[in-house]
Amino acid sequence: MEDKGLFGKILAILPGLAVMIGTLYVLRMYVEPWMKDAVVFGRKGWLVQVMSLNYILLSIITGMVYRNILFGGAIPGWAEEGFRTTRLFIKTGVIMLGSLYTFDKLLKVGGVAITLIVAFVFGSVIFVLWLGKRMGADRSVTAAMAAACGVCGVSAAVATAPGVRAKPVDLAMAIATILGFGIMTMFISPFIGKALSLSDYQFGAWVGTGILNSGQVLATCLAFNPVFAPGTAVAYGEIWNVVRVICIPFVVFFITAWYWKGEAEAEHVSLSSVLASKFPIFVIGFVGMTALSSLHVLGAEGSETLQLMREVMAWIFGIGLVGLGAYIDVREIKAAGGIPLRIGLIAGATKYVLALIIILAFIPKEGAF
Amino acid sequence: MSDKNKSLTVFKTDRHEDIAAIVFSGLIVVVVLTYMAFIVPTVNIKVPLDGKLVEIFVTEGSDVAKGDKLYALEIVKKKWVNNEMQEKVVVEEFTAKTSGKILKVSGNSGDDLKKGKHTVVVMDHQKGTLP
Repeated sequence: MEDKGLFGKILAILPGLAVMIGTLYVLRMYVEPWMKDAVVFGRKGWLVQVMSLNYILLSIITGMVYRNILFGGAIPGWAEEGFRTTRLFIKTGVIMLGSLYTFDKLLKVGGVAITLIVAFVFGSVIFVLWLGKRMGADRSVTAAMAAACGVCGVSAAVATAPGVRAKPVDLAMAIATILGFGIMTMFISPFIGKALSLSDYQFGAWVGTGILNSGQVLATCLAFNPVFAPGTAVAYGEIWNVVRVICIPFVVFFITAWYWKGEAEAEHVSLSSVLASKFPIFVIGFVGMTALSSLHVLGAEGSETLQLMREVMAWIFGIGLVGLGAYIDVREIKAAGGIPLRIGLIAGATKYVLALIIILAFIPKEGAF
Repeated sequence: MSDKNKSLTVFKTDRHEDIAAIVFSGLIVVVVLTYMAFIVPTVNIKVPLDGKLVEIFVTEGSDVAKGDKLYALEIVKKKWVNNEMQEKVVVEEFTAKTSGKILKVSGNSGDDLKKGKHTVVVMDHQKGTLP
């Protein structure tokens, strides 16, 4: 790509970004309020209350419509740079979510979150490595799938791919399988949560454990309960999500070490080098935001200042989720197949169902904060 | 047209994107806090929950200090206790988060108010504090 300079790069971002912001504006200001008042099957607000079609899911659906219908399968050049700010918005939103906690609240649920996440992340990785061997899958494919199914889907698969010599097609297949599974769970989880009368604490813990992609975890929690506040599904789900994101370098190290152990020309991998290159440092921002909240720098709970902060947070996430939808290519997901698809579906479904069973059995409905 | 072969970020690396996200979120916090502390001309205090207005403790023109009672709202509190949802009607008093002068009071006892929609008190807060 030619070097456009900073000003040129910012200009290139504007059209796509304007589409994302404009879309969210229309959805939040007009579509969602209309849906809240619309009477369907004799019930006012059925679309929002029963179908969970709040602005969060609508943002993702609209993004998907843009890419797969309006743009004919690929984001056009004029909008491309803007849509590539998607992850910036989601990461910024995640950092801002740190303001929902204080350190004492994090400590209250941190132990449960760490136990569940570590058990599920490494349990899934070991399960996929075993499953891949049993199905006779290529070791690179197995390694990419283990990363994708174990922790944080796309990020972990991308981070692991070079170390295990995964071909671009292996990586694309792993990502397509995981994203496809994630989209399905994103839409059905709120129904299951409501049908089983899960509390916000249980739902956040389940989704944070069972769904594989950070954006999808957030979207699913907000579809269940769209409120940004302490004690809501998104507040609990995000603790699980952050713990899982922190696991990425450890998982990358584990899988890479497993891969090279089985290769003739073994390559030395050190945990410190993987930690240095793969640690997701935006998590430090999340902790920093929790520190500000713990010091009561951001305003008192219930204050108009915090209300405004959470409103801005909702917009930041919404913009990111329009972009997230636009990165879902239905054709790519359709192309997923063969052994990676089977491994992904078996591992993903097992993790999703097992997490629900464990949550129902061991996590109380009353939240820790 | 295709974005398949391109990076998912506008930044050089994921690390740069992480740093940009930290800077961006910090900037948002600074802007929000500065706006609320120094720029916002008046503060519209809206009800944080759906409920029935029970009483307003302040009058137009009065001065309030941080912690003074502003209004009381009858709300339905939902809480999970022993894995069962318990609903209790309680009257909760809401206080001023900062000192200032009451400019306007709207609403009467018995009014049904919607969360985030109805303003109960309009206040001119002490500059430099977070309302």
